[in-house]
Amino acid sequence: MLKSTRFIFLLVLSTLFLFPFFWMLVSSFKPNEEVLAIPVKIFPKIWQIDAYTNLMNYSEYNFPRYFFNSIFVTIAAVLLAVILCTTAGYGFATYNFKYSNFFFIIVLSTIMIPFQAIVVPLFILMKDLGLNNTYLGLIVPESLTAFGVFLMRQFFYTLPKETIESARIDGANEFQIFLKIALPSAKTAIFALIIFHSQWVWNLLLWPLIIVSNPEMRTVPQAISLFSGVYFTPYPEQLAISVLACLPLLILFIFLSKNFTRGITLTGIK
Amino acid sequence: MYNKKIQIAGFYFVLPTLIIYGIFLIYPMITAFHYSFFKWNLLSEKKYVGLSNFAKMINDKRFWNSYITTFHFTLISIVLIIILSFILALILEKSFKFKNIFQSAIFIPVILTMVSIAVVWQFMFQSTGILSNLFIDLFGTKVKWLTSTKIAPYSMILVNVWKMTGYYMIIFIAGLLNVPNTFYEAARVDGANYFERLIYITLPQMKNTFILVFVSGVIFSFAAFPQQYVMTEGGPGRSTEVLALLIYKQAFEFTKFGYSSSISVAFFASLLLFSIIQLRLFKSESNL
Repeated sequence: MLKSTRFIFLLVLSTLFLFPFFWMLVSSFKPNEEVLAIPVKIFPKIWQIDAYTNLMNYSEYNFPRYFFNSIFVTIAAVLLAVILCTTAGYGFATYNFKYSNFFFIIVLSTIMIPFQAIVVPLFILMKDLGLNNTYLGLIVPESLTAFGVFLMRQFFYTLPKETIESARIDGANEFQIFLKIALPSAKTAIFALIIFHSQWVWNLLLWPLIIVSNPEMRTVPQAISLFSGVYFTPYPEQLAISVLACLPLLILFIFLSKNFTRGITLTGIK
Repeated sequence: MYNKKIQIAGFYFVLPTLIIYGIFLIYPMITAFHYSFFKWNLLSEKKYVGLSNFAKMINDKRFWNSYITTFHFTLISIVLIIILSFILALILEKSFKFKNIFQSAIFIPVILTMVSIAVVWQFMFQSTGILSNLFIDLFGTKVKWLTSTKIAPYSMILVNVWKMTGYYMIIFIAGLLNVPNTFYEAARVDGANYFERLIYITLPQMKNTFILVFVSGVIFSFAAFPQQYVMTEGGPGRSTEVLALLIYKQAFEFTKFGYSSSISVAFFASLLLFSIIQLRLFKSESNL
């Protein structure tokens, strides 16, 4: 392909892929009547940040609280996922106990259980346990990723058995070996898991919709779907909160850009 | 025995996962089967109705509409995503000026929050939104992005393709970099041109990557929910009412928990069947 053709093709496509975010951003600085005005003007006549400051004036919505909820739930669910995936992955990769293969197949087969198919019974279970409207009720189901267990197991397979054996001879117990030798060696894989999973948890809508009825416990996506679903909500406000909801992952992406793609590569290849 | 004692430690490492996955994944899946035999609104007593939920489902036009809508959405999305992301990967595999900028730009939609995306696309699709205006200016036609039962399903596909292409592009690039360079050099010596190398070396070598992209893309698209929930609520005329949305509505809007569970079981069975067929195809191929 000619260099200039390639360049133009990529330029057009990149513009198309970036446009919706760009549009969300500029429109959030417009006054209400300009957002859907004809003829279309790309940039606002006067840039105003009213939409952002107005977000604090809705008495039925406590947006700072929703951001706290979402960030807290994401961090906790990802942390729990890392703990479960690394321990289980290490257990399956380095030991050969009774039924270990059977247990691994059981865990792996849960990849095929789509979350959407179990939300109803899961909701009933959580209600019976009294975990609806709690952080625990949001966090635990969102921390499950059989894929993560599989990823970590693949990674721990590459850990040389001699390293583990010599640590044993030096008198370290099994848990110390895991903490001091296995975990530090798996940094890349753990990083991939964190990136992959935080993206997933941050985006979840269906589960919060079902498990949370108390307004104080809402997550950001849930609050946005509610907020933008009310027809008299001004347009720039809907867009402003949407922009804010994208920021945490965008910031993560900007800082970790290289690891981000490497992480996806790792999760994709194994 | 000392060694046996060490092996048992492995069991303790996997025990927390076994317990939590058992309670919060496997048990709900089993109870979904159980609930599907009952009529239940959660408030009154469960009433055993045998297979009548499934009988109802088979005759329910709304269920089949939803099933076909989901299938259509998944199939067209995945074909478009694979073609587009593979072409992009072929271009972006090489290094050139501004390559990283282009790659990041195409990847950006992947990390945007799904609900936010749905909100902004909804604005662009409005009759006075920028996309509608652009089409009037460029082609002189008014496209009813979200208000026509014929077009709305494709608007959903467009958003899905836009969101996911960057992700699979990265996976394809990684796959391309794994193809041994010696293959290409040998082909070049034999005088193969770019397209011959693509067809005889790249495509066969990338088989596993294609399978991976296909399977994960199907599972992801089949479970689509936020986009339809925010943008159309299944409308117009149920033309975008995907299965996940129907399961949600049946349970939490119509309080038919038993019937909703039956649909969940059908949903699970479909994905399971797909996985088995796919596994079979994969196995018989790799035995050759």
